[in-house]
Amino acid sequence: MEMEVVSSNPFKALGAAIIKGDIWTKLSLFIWGAGALGRKQYIKALLLTLIEVFAITMLIQYGTPYLQKFNTLGEVEREVTREMDPDTWEMVEIVNDYDNSQLILIYGVCSILTMVAIVLYGLLNMVRSYALQLRAKRGRHINTFWEDIKSLKEEKFYKVLLSLPVLGVVIFIIVPIVCLIFVAFTNYDQNHLTPTHLFTWVGLRNFKLLFTSLGGAFAYSFRKILTWTIIWSIFATLTTYFGGILMAQFINSPKTHGKKLWRTLLVITIAVPQFVSLLLVRYFFQDQGIVNTICRNIHLTDFLRNIGLIRSSYIPFLSSPGWAKVTIIMINIWIGIPYQMLIATGVLMNIPNDLMESARIDGANKFQIFRKITMPYLLFVTGPALLSDFVRNFNNFNVIYLLTDSVYKTTDQTMSSIRAKEVDLLVTWLFRLTQDEQNYKVASVISIIVFIICASLTVVGFSRMIAGDKEGDFQ
Amino acid sequence: MMDNKNIPNVETTNQENAAPETSIGFGYKMLRFQKKIVAPTLRHILLALICGFWLIPIVWLVATSFSAYDGVNISRFFPKEWSISAYTRLFNPGDDTANQYLVWFKNTFFIAICTCVISTVFVLCVAYAMSCMRFAGRKFMMKMAMILTMFPGFLSMIIVYMILKTVGLTNSHFGLILCYSAGSGLGYLVAKGFFDTIPVSLREAAKIEGCSEAKIFTHIVVPLSRPIIVYTVISSFLAPWMDFVMAKIMLNSGIATDWTVSIGLYKMLDMTRVNQYFTRFCAGGVLVSIPISLLFILMQKFYVEGITGGAVKG
Repeated sequence: MEMEVVSSNPFKALGAAIIKGDIWTKLSLFIWGAGALGRKQYIKALLLTLIEVFAITMLIQYGTPYLQKFNTLGEVEREVTREMDPDTWEMVEIVNDYDNSQLILIYGVCSILTMVAIVLYGLLNMVRSYALQLRAKRGRHINTFWEDIKSLKEEKFYKVLLSLPVLGVVIFIIVPIVCLIFVAFTNYDQNHLTPTHLFTWVGLRNFKLLFTSLGGAFAYSFRKILTWTIIWSIFATLTTYFGGILMAQFINSPKTHGKKLWRTLLVITIAVPQFVSLLLVRYFFQDQGIVNTICRNIHLTDFLRNIGLIRSSYIPFLSSPGWAKVTIIMINIWIGIPYQMLIATGVLMNIPNDLMESARIDGANKFQIFRKITMPYLLFVTGPALLSDFVRNFNNFNVIYLLTDSVYKTTDQTMSSIRAKEVDLLVTWLFRLTQDEQNYKVASVISIIVFIICASLTVVGFSRMIAGDKEGDFQ
Repeated sequence: MMDNKNIPNVETTNQENAAPETSIGFGYKMLRFQKKIVAPTLRHILLALICGFWLIPIVWLVATSFSAYDGVNISRFFPKEWSISAYTRLFNPGDDTANQYLVWFKNTFFIAICTCVISTVFVLCVAYAMSCMRFAGRKFMMKMAMILTMFPGFLSMIIVYMILKTVGLTNSHFGLILCYSAGSGLGYLVAKGFFDTIPVSLREAAKIEGCSEAKIFTHIVVPLSRPIIVYTVISSFLAPWMDFVMAKIMLNSGIATDWTVSIGLYKMLDMTRVNQYFTRFCAGGVLVSIPISLLFILMQKFYVEGITGGAVKG
């Protein structure tokens, strides 16, 4: 007897199943229970087939009405007619049987994903049936239904563990992302709001809006905001990263007493929820706020006006583009350093002591040790974290939104016409686009761009981590 | 600040050993005085200054919350007249729709508890499956998770909002709980890092004794993972308290009794309201910050591991 095993390569396994599978195996692609039926696993066969029937019925019943309209996203606009009700002699409003593009899109995407899932499971099922066929051929034991159930507590326990979390991720993360990608190719905006209006596919027009001169205000604002987002991310990341390391070094030095006290004092600033601390700081720095009063009292305002840095009678900390950008970065340092200090502290405590020891014996001085050992070690351990910090700052919604929303008024007509401000990050702009203007199409395009930027940075930063799975080292 | 290193100063000790006490000259005494008294004092004064500077806004928050004046204090740092009226009015709103602090607190607490339970269970389940079990598609799922976590959650929240609207779950706390906890399985990495350190021999021994995988999870691994459970519980409990965006998107009905603390406090600072409510905003901010700061400080040390993805273990 030839020793056949199912290949671990899914494509090879599938090929083998198609070529060498018997009638039951081949049939199990279409009738999920067939493979099990052929090996006399009757209950399993019945259950699998029932699940398949259920899935397909649901798909046909709820999916097809929407799928049929998916290519146009609906054609019948909502119309309300007022008619006399013949019985009561009152005017009643009659709504026609209209199409709701938003529902068509969401249900359509769900149906498509379900179909993909059904096909994939069919293929997987065929491979499994083939494995079963091989077992039967070799005369090995074939599980009864109760043994299958019991295996869910044993080697198949991961299925129980993962089912709900994966379902949650699929519904709340994957489906929305797919929908979002589709919305980017429609004209879903304030002029096409459902249910009263329809929206439809427009191809790449939204992308052109942002990237070519066709877009006018959009392209202009996008360029400006993207530039500021990148500048902000670089500054916010580097200042807090190095500030945090210096602070950690300072506090963790053996010459410092009461390390825990100092650390806790600093950490209080990040332990207070940001919607409290940042909103407060916003009033702290407002045009007529307390910092301005103090600056006036110590004649700093006059001085700055004399040297021409400001023209107003106050310092526009959060209300003129240049000042606001500097202030925001400063405030971010205030929030960011304690946070980076915590991380650096954790990493510093773990620097292998023998490294330091040998350096010291070799006569290295403190500065050399810092430059040649501490810094490289920190960079090595926190390097990937530096990238994810960059990504976090790229999407740092809270700092920008809480500090500038409703306080910062842009004077740039082009930008204000589409709800953009000079101090906006891509994410705050997109938030305002959806919340204030319901311009979902552009917001979706921005989301996709943000995602591509962040995901590629992460893949670069973590490729080491993804490639080498080091978990075995600890066990 | 470059000279402040955490390495014991070897040179100093060498010098001291080389020069016995009796032969120390005046200059060396001065040097010693500088090294032993002046430098440490300066160091601690500098630290105190830094920390003081860092705490200015927090001090202002607390001070303003005890002000007798309702609006934004713009002329003085500390209030002119002290009073606790902001706190008493915060808790006795009467029929003031803009101030339902107790209701908001209760709402947030409820949402946080539910989120915390679901998230913790999800995180532990995923972490165990990924750390202790081997199955086809495991690596693939881990890579997918890593890329998905990169997608800032609230970008797709607009679509989640639309989806929840079609099933009538917007403006409901249940919907918000789902938003916070449904995707929480993705945050399994820290817990997995911890599970990775539990000796595999322990699980093997249990298996030989006839323990099922399920029993190993509930009876061996979970009881051994108290620190990481504490971390997961606290961090998922804190998320709804700290969150602002998601609640703002999901609870947009304008009915004050639906809001969470963050939305409520944010609305207090509307242009039209800020002059009557600023002090109460500060009082509310202080009250919500106290328990949260305590929890945050408690989980500080896990927090570090959470950020560096367990790389800290060294």
